[in-house]
Amino acid sequence: MSLNLEFVFSVLVFPGFIFILLFTMFCDWVERKIEARMQNRIGPTYTGPAGILQPLADFLKLLTKEDIVPFDARNIVFRFAPILSFSIFVFTFLFLPIDGTNAILNLNFEGDLILVLTLVSIANFFLFLSGWSSTNPYSAIGATRVLTQLLGYDIPLFLLALAPAFLAKNLSIATIASSQNVPFSILIPWAFALFIIALQAELEKDPFDVPHAETEIVGGYETEYTGRRLAFLKLAKDVQIVLGAALVVELFLGGPYGPVFFGLPTFWYALWFVLKLLAVIVISEYLTCVFARLRIDQVLVASWKVLLPLSILSLVATVAVGLWLIPMWG
Amino acid sequence: MANIEHEFALLLSKKLGGKILQTGTLQPDKVFVRVDAKAHKDAIAVLLEADENAGLSALTGVDLGKTLELMYHIRTHGTIVTVRTEVPKEDANVKSITDIIPGANFHEREVADLFGVNFEGHPNPKRLVLSDDWPKNLFPLRKDAEIVIPNRVENGKADEQRLDGDKLVNIIIGPQHPALIEPEKFSLKVDGEIVKEVEPRIGYVHRGIEKAAEKRTYLQDIYLVERICGICNACHATCFCQAVEAILGITVPPRAKYLRTLILELNRIHSHMLLLGHAGFEVGYETLLHYMWRDRETVMDIVERLTGNRVIASFVTVGGVRRDLPSEAIPEIKAQLASLKEKMSFYKHLFESDPTLKMRTKNVGVLSKQDALKLCVVGPVARGSGVKMDVRKDEPYAAYSEVPFNIAIYSEGDSWARLMVHLDEVSESINIINYVLDNLPSGSYRIRVPRIVPAGEAISRVEAPRGELFYYVKSNGTAYPERVKVRTPTFANILSFVHIAEGGNIADVPASFVSLDPCFSCTDR
Repeated sequence: MSLNLEFVFSVLVFPGFIFILLFTMFCDWVERKIEARMQNRIGPTYTGPAGILQPLADFLKLLTKEDIVPFDARNIVFRFAPILSFSIFVFTFLFLPIDGTNAILNLNFEGDLILVLTLVSIANFFLFLSGWSSTNPYSAIGATRVLTQLLGYDIPLFLLALAPAFLAKNLSIATIASSQNVPFSILIPWAFALFIIALQAELEKDPFDVPHAETEIVGGYETEYTGRRLAFLKLAKDVQIVLGAALVVELFLGGPYGPVFFGLPTFWYALWFVLKLLAVIVISEYLTCVFARLRIDQVLVASWKVLLPLSILSLVATVAVGLWLIPMWG
Repeated sequence: MANIEHEFALLLSKKLGGKILQTGTLQPDKVFVRVDAKAHKDAIAVLLEADENAGLSALTGVDLGKTLELMYHIRTHGTIVTVRTEVPKEDANVKSITDIIPGANFHEREVADLFGVNFEGHPNPKRLVLSDDWPKNLFPLRKDAEIVIPNRVENGKADEQRLDGDKLVNIIIGPQHPALIEPEKFSLKVDGEIVKEVEPRIGYVHRGIEKAAEKRTYLQDIYLVERICGICNACHATCFCQAVEAILGITVPPRAKYLRTLILELNRIHSHMLLLGHAGFEVGYETLLHYMWRDRETVMDIVERLTGNRVIASFVTVGGVRRDLPSEAIPEIKAQLASLKEKMSFYKHLFESDPTLKMRTKNVGVLSKQDALKLCVVGPVARGSGVKMDVRKDEPYAAYSEVPFNIAIYSEGDSWARLMVHLDEVSESINIINYVLDNLPSGSYRIRVPRIVPAGEAISRVEAPRGELFYYVKSNGTAYPERVKVRTPTFANILSFVHIAEGGNIADVPASFVSLDPCFSCTDR
């Protein structure tokens, strides 16, 4: 693989860095609009048509703000955790096929599903470190909550991600996506539903948004952050949400593949990918709106006593489907 | 009329004998006993013994020149019996009654702050309403206190909020915090996620309204006391006006009584819906907040139709109310209330069935009936713990003696029960308003009263949305009151927060706190 212009374009522009960034902001706007409409509000309206530029304006505003580092938090972790977390999330995104191939020109290999899931956990760990290094009690409690929640939900998430891999008989995300003639969400709906719930916890959204429960611990792990670092911390969270939704699309909704009507397949694939992803975001926002926040002990009970056994059961059921039912249909 | 009260006087004189210096009445149905400064505790103990539901309603201090008078207003059998005692100003020491009534804790600290009375044996004699850098020997409610902007004095170091060497983390909620809409401070000592110790501190919005009321005429005071709390402003105005009317010895016309009932119930719906929405926000259920507060607008519109103002109504005045309700507005208001009632039954279904909401509020912040009585809580907090207490029934004022209504009581004593009390009361208030609109008497809606009020004193109680609101007004025969004492419901309830938060989860602090329906602009005054 030589470093040619096409490669640079695909990493930096489409479907790489700039696309991911703009798409993240677009999704943020969609989320805010949906949540507002569900709650009888109107949401952003001022910046750009229907407020579509609001996330960008918020990001730019934070970039111009004063960057304060608390005296006790003058350490390398506090400074670099937001940037590292953000860049790992974006890097992980490059492995997902968006327009049929992924950004690093089909650098997909057997087992990149495991790599992606691991990178997501590592990036989450950096979110924990960002709070832990702030030496603020709110941040400290928020950070321990991130970690407790991560421990509770990573295992079910991994188990549930194995179900599509088993059906596709492959651990490469691109192969899993392309092997879905019928989307796996229809073949194994139980795994799909559980994956969405586990993801909701992974993304710290209601009913599992305990790490930044503002009425209890103010900003959670991001309490001490300001300016540029806060901008990147928030952006990292947004990229994480889109990344999580993208994983659902790749694993359960047939990835970017869909009918090509005319012209370039790349265009249609990207379009299908975006539409499917927005559908996932709508589901996730709906869940956010109709639930109250659980308590951290209730979250842990839900993860260890309910979700983990259920995801093991779901794996067993998936194996049953894969071994007996699908061969029977031919 | 005043049989129960005189029974108390008889009982007291029988048990205490010669210690009683004087027995009399504040107003026809409010009896008081004057005792020696050393005997007040015995007198209160006798009253507590006679009624297990008795509690301290308020503690009023009055500056009499050479001495300071302390009035312990004991709530018993639905009425108030006052035990008064005097201490010399120079040597103001009395025994604390916190060991027999733990709920007297904050009352005594407030009087200590404002009058400089030293309560011997108080468990936590710290500043409560005055700021820590207020001069040591300046007691603002003493008549001889010269209030100039005081020089700031050095005070101790502020509580530090950091990870200590030991396991406990000191977390400070407030004075500015997303869970609190008003400034107050709670220092929590937490071990992991468990709260070990709570130390409340109020007074961040202390405006000295009781002092300001002494410098204004009775008419001006109506508008002043309304501004103690925006949400239940009509309750404050009504309570103050009732006290002044009692001193004047007048009764307001029946139409005014009904119109007062109307605005008081509108206040209650407004306040309760505000709280229920806020409770949703505190447990991370923002959709509920937005829906509740949207529907609350109905009430604001009705208040505007009735009084001309959306929030501060300026509706109740001494001698009646200031505006009449035009008859063509009645069907409009009834239609609006009918749609609100439908929505409320949906919310009640939601609170009864939503699993996440129940997980966050059931068995959270439990206050047993016994503790509720011990801590002298009032209003929905008491009713959520199974204490049957409602001034509207116990001592009917305005038109409540003629209006049929039920008291909502839950025995669980948790946050959920308290919120359900609020929900039920909104429906009941809508019924009351409908009854009032149907049976509105004709006739005049206010009578003219003299500006000069004869010397005398009176106490008045109103069931505000948050519970029993208590006023004591003393007149010296001029157009200016001698003393106006306000004891707001939250002031009585806030001590119970310490009790229910300790031993609980950090995540439960907002959920149990909000169910007490705290209002700190009321509490600080």
